[in-house]
Amino acid sequence: MKDIARQSMSIKVESMDLLNGQIKMEAHASATYLAMASWCEQNGFFTSAKFFFKQAEEEREHMMKIFNFLVDTGGNPISPEVTGINHDYSSIVDVFESTLEHEVKVTKSIHNIVKKSRELGDFATEKFLDWFVMEQIEEENTVRDILDMIEVTGTEGVGLQMIDNQVANWID
Amino acid sequence: MNVIFQSTYYTLYQAANERCFYIDFGQKMVRMSLCQLLALRHKVMSIAIEDHFDSDLNAHGFEVLMLCNKEHLFVLNTLEILDLKKLVSNSFVSLGLSVGALETITS
Repeated sequence: MKDIARQSMSIKVESMDLLNGQIKMEAHASATYLAMASWCEQNGFFTSAKFFFKQAEEEREHMMKIFNFLVDTGGNPISPEVTGINHDYSSIVDVFESTLEHEVKVTKSIHNIVKKSRELGDFATEKFLDWFVMEQIEEENTVRDILDMIEVTGTEGVGLQMIDNQVANWID
Repeated sequence: MNVIFQSTYYTLYQAANERCFYIDFGQKMVRMSLCQLLALRHKVMSIAIEDHFDSDLNAHGFEVLMLCNKEHLFVLNTLEILDLKKLVSNSFVSLGLSVGALETITS
């Protein structure tokens, strides 16, 4: 009997489901960073706003990378619904702390898919996610460095203005 | 045509010469590509069957399913949905595209 299914699709449906979940997560991250950019603009942190606009774009690129992988492997990529975006932050420190929490959540999710694809013997998905594993190290490191800089600078007096100016070092 | 999986109400066939699949829904046969079968899987596995037991969430216990780019419309009751879920999950295992242990689709 011809294996039409395998000829049409190169990955397991379980991997496809997990990757569709990741598409949703990246879309949610992109929307969250856009909300953070909006908060920064409204509260006078214009350089930080630029940083988050760029982050929002990057997350969308990540989403599209996974989306296109599912297209290439003959899967069924699902355009995600994005709801429940938080627009309220108590301070710029809160914004960056939330960013790090978000990135850690994304990293855990990526690691989970790598682990599951390994269990499934889905080498294509595992290999594809290598790039994301390394990218997450960089993403987490960037936000950790910014939080370190905030701690060193302090938020008293002109500290907030200095923090916002220094965020420029992490754009590009 | 080769039978891939048969549940209580439905049967999935593979038509190798046409490079497609057929599902016998009882009252009609529906021709599907693998993409359309994947879309059916997504729709069926996204149905929260618990809602059928809560009259606020699903008052009549029916689901309306549109398949193959709105070419076909089915109104299915709780038992039929449960059976279709069984057909879909077991068929993908039979087709070698699923290990069957992980059900990861959420609505």
